Amino acid sequence: MTETQILIESTLQAIAAGILIGAIYGLMCVGLAMIFGIMRVINFAQGDFMMIGMYAAFFALTLLGLPSFLGPVVGPYVAVLLAAPLLYGFGWLIHRTLIRRVTGIETADLEGEGHYAQLILTLGIALILQNGAMILFGAELISIRTPLSSDAIFVGPFLDGLAVFLNKARLVSACISVVIIVALWWVIKSTTLGKSLRAAADNPEAAIYMGIDVDRSHRTAFALGTAITATAGGLLATNYPFHPFVGLEYVIIMYAGVVLGGIGSVIGAFWGGMAIGLVQQLSTIILPTQLQNATIFVFFLLIVILRPQGFFGRNVERT
Amino acid sequence: MNIMRKLMCSTVVAALGAGSALAQDAEPVQIGLIAPVSGIYARPGQVMKMGAELGVEDVNAAGGIECLNGAPLELVVIDSGDSVEKATNAAQRMVADYPDLVGATGSYLSSFTLAVTEVTERANLPVLTLSYSDLITERGYENVFQTSATAGGQAEIALPIIMDLAEEQTGKRPETVAVITDNTAASLSSVERMKNGLLDDVGLELVSEEVFTPPLSDATSLIQTIRARQPDLLFFLPTVISDANLILEKMQEFRVSVPTISFGIAIAEPEVLNTMDPELLDGVMSAVANWGAAGQEDLIQRLKDEYGEPWMTQNAISTYGDMWVFKAALEESCSRDREALGEALRNLDGGPSEYYPGGTISFDDMGRREGASLTIIQWQEGVPVTVFPEELAVAAPKWPTE
Repeated sequence: MTETQILIESTLQAIAAGILIGAIYGLMCVGLAMIFGIMRVINFAQGDFMMIGMYAAFFALTLLGLPSFLGPVVGPYVAVLLAAPLLYGFGWLIHRTLIRRVTGIETADLEGEGHYAQLILTLGIALILQNGAMILFGAELISIRTPLSSDAIFVGPFLDGLAVFLNKARLVSACISVVIIVALWWVIKSTTLGKSLRAAADNPEAAIYMGIDVDRSHRTAFALGTAITATAGGLLATNYPFHPFVGLEYVIIMYAGVVLGGIGSVIGAFWGGMAIGLVQQLSTIILPTQLQNATIFVFFLLIVILRPQGFFGRNVERT
Repeated sequence: MNIMRKLMCSTVVAALGAGSALAQDAEPVQIGLIAPVSGIYARPGQVMKMGAELGVEDVNAAGGIECLNGAPLELVVIDSGDSVEKATNAAQRMVADYPDLVGATGSYLSSFTLAVTEVTERANLPVLTLSYSDLITERGYENVFQTSATAGGQAEIALPIIMDLAEEQTGKRPETVAVITDNTAASLSSVERMKNGLLDDVGLELVSEEVFTPPLSDATSLIQTIRARQPDLLFFLPTVISDANLILEKMQEFRVSVPTISFGIAIAEPEVLNTMDPELLDGVMSAVANWGAAGQEDLIQRLKDEYGEPWMTQNAISTYGDMWVFKAALEESCSRDREALGEALRNLDGGPSEYYPGGTISFDDMGRREGASLTIIQWQEGVPVTVFPEELAVAAPKWPTE
């Protein structure tokens, strides 16, 4: 293989891998955008909601014995989808018992509109979830294995021996991510629930005057955000081993994706996550691999300097 | 005959009783274990704790520190966390909160050990470590003792063995090598030594070197490079198990079939099997500082029975051995003073090493164990087994051609 061929193949491979991982990052970011965009809650526990989603999918798979009647390929993805309503309920409960005390109308007499309390509360939830998971599940790495995890679709050979590999587990996960995003976009744009979410995000006071239960809308947004990020975690886990502290590795990516996409824009968050996936992969072509994650933040800073409102700034779209 | 047997039994029971009474009277001697028991490195830290607990149990069962009226050892576990900053804070807490500690062992990652020993050296607290980095004992510290061969030393021992094995089993010596390494201190020490003449000495040309920051989120770019460069051999130095997993799975996915030699135990921890098929691991070799080996079957069985560990990694056997080294040094110093213990460790002549491969229980002027060698392990039929050195091997090595 000549140096030019190596460069072309590496670039094509990085684009392919970037799109596949970017779609999953995008779904994670959308989950956070539901909470950050609609409720303006800086949620430090979002990475840990993802971790809980990974464990929920793992236990749904193993305890229900899904591979025995759905097969080793379909079973894991059904487990991931079964974990979503569980995490929706978990998010609903967390909001009902804790988050609502520092958001919405409850924050009227709190300093900084409750943001300080939100930071401390969500950080506390994160620590409890991490250490609780450590006690309950142990520090051992686990993953949701499917036969697709280390299998790839071979595209090629073309252009005198070049080839690109598409990881099958990532490909299925990326497709599921896109379907969820499209469904969410439809719900937000076309349903009564979506309208109430948008109203609660745009102007909570006006929404209350119009008879919308903003507290309920916030709870729905929080639960949806939790379930979506948890689903992304489950999809990631089909190809990535996890442990109780895995959320820390991804929470920064989620925030970067949300800001890149434009704070308040759910669809923008998806493209923000996609951009991070692509930058992460493409950076390795010209820079040492150890700078892979640093490159994300250089890119992030560039976007913040050149286009502070992100790709889909709040003037263009909200929720 | 029966009377004689009863008499002997009564004598032994009386002696044990007297010993334990003495041990109960004497104040325990505190030994610290500063290791990560939270965060992403919690698992190896927990295994270090298991080994140390077994060591303390056995030292105490053997009468404790006889010179100190049979004082038992007492293990104090300090969580070093999962970052250098946390490890430094933990070391400061350890020396401040436990003034009676006479010695310590730790701290898994070389980068943690480097940070921890900056603190313990100022407190004159002797520290035994399995960490590999050459830097640990290149700083002129008096109270840091490396029980493993250094990373550079391990590479020097391992490479000729690997090359000879390849030639013996394939009829051809590898000519090119690629290196994938994380940027932790021990891994970089090994690679540095390889690049500074060792690869040339064994006739290997370095065709690619990829350095990554752990933990990886994806290994595509690393394996794409290996696919493009097509080396005869891959040296692979991960510290985090998930990185080992991602890289090996990506090799399978990209249909890259290069004989793979690892350094360190990330590919041989028991939970690797939670995330990888044993077939994927079969044949993969790794050079490690220590491993459960022939002659330690009873100890390995106890680790299985008491903790459910399927095999004994370097983290358990080394902290187990450390407790015996502390006992030997405490018998020499006959004191609870940490400076006296440091002096005893510097001058220790504990004879042939029983729980570390090669050499003796004695330390040179730098604090490195004299004659320290390494263990080469290989995944065979779903278990990583010792294949080198011959006297410790439980199976013959097979060149990883598939």
